[in-house]
Amino acid sequence: MKLRILVADDHEIVRRGLCSLLQKHEGWEICGEASDGRDAVEKAKQLKPDVVILDVGMPNLNGLDATRQLMQHDPNFKVIVLTITDSDQVIREALDSGARGFVLKSDAARDLVSAVEALQHKRMFFTPRVNDLVLAGFLDKGHAISRNEPPSLPTLTAREREITQLLAEGKSSKEVASLLNLSTKTVETHRSNIMRKLSFHSIRDLVVYAIKNNIIQIDVPPQMKNPTGSPAA
Amino acid sequence: MAIRILLVDDHPIVRQGLKTLLAGHPGWEVIGEASDGMEAVDKADSLRPDVMVLDVTMPRMNGLEACRLIRRKAPGMEILFVTQHDSPQMMREALEAGARGYVVKSNAARDLLEAVEAVSQHRVFTALNRRDSVSSC
Repeated sequence: MKLRILVADDHEIVRRGLCSLLQKHEGWEICGEASDGRDAVEKAKQLKPDVVILDVGMPNLNGLDATRQLMQHDPNFKVIVLTITDSDQVIREALDSGARGFVLKSDAARDLVSAVEALQHKRMFFTPRVNDLVLAGFLDKGHAISRNEPPSLPTLTAREREITQLLAEGKSSKEVASLLNLSTKTVETHRSNIMRKLSFHSIRDLVVYAIKNNIIQIDVPPQMKNPTGSPAA
Repeated sequence: MAIRILLVDDHPIVRQGLKTLLAGHPGWEVIGEASDGMEAVDKADSLRPDVMVLDVTMPRMNGLEACRLIRRKAPGMEILFVTQHDSPQMMREALEAGARGYVVKSNAARDLLEAVEAVSQHRVFTALNRRDSVSSC
């Protein structure tokens, strides 16, 4: 029986690249594609793939929160997250979300097949930097990975995080309500609770918070970094 | 019409996606790939493609710098930017650097073939995220 894979990335060109790479592997098939986290969660519940590949920086629902929702629905889901950065915080959140694989987008052509193979054989796959951090945390040398460390978003519920992302993306309460099948009044109540919990007074504060906590990601033009080069994006 | 294309992007998976898309068009050939601006300048010189599909944000040398250098060395070669930057300001900069086309990465699957066709005939093709912003002349 073939290994069924669901691929989620908001860029169709990236999905094409990922699918083309994975389809070359004998015994694997792409059972579905999704263009945002919400779509991915719906399709994963419906299609029940063996492996789910989720981009972290997707609109409507990011890949990390999508992973949390999937794990809550069924802890047997096997998720690989694809990310443009392996910062301590993203690694910590990926591990915390329940992902079993962590692959840098820039290395996907090299690492993704190995990652899927690992999950297929009930193992995990992480980049060397994740392994280093996990080991450092295990050895308790004051690194970021620690079981006692509070999560980066201790006060927000899953629903509040979803709404935070949508508001930070510039959607109105009415648009959020429509996307989440809620009443506008319910969204307004969540919005007030979020602002109160975080002691914020403006949507600007919320946007900054969402960026800092990897709930949304922004594109930075190259000349804002340096004149001749910039990190991969 | 046969078109020889050079793909430049620092993410191999994006190059793979672009290649898959372009492969569906008869007569078009991807003759090479590069992963940063410096490599793009070198390969433009050695391979002499008709069209270069170029990313903006790359390590070592970004696409805008590479575009300026290539236009000076090979004015007949057409450059099409495929970038994540959905910004009129960036688009203006790209055209000022000498590019003939500008496509947003999130819409590349929709716009790329039309854009390559246009720039290969030395026509301008620009498309930001909104469908009504597409123009070809």
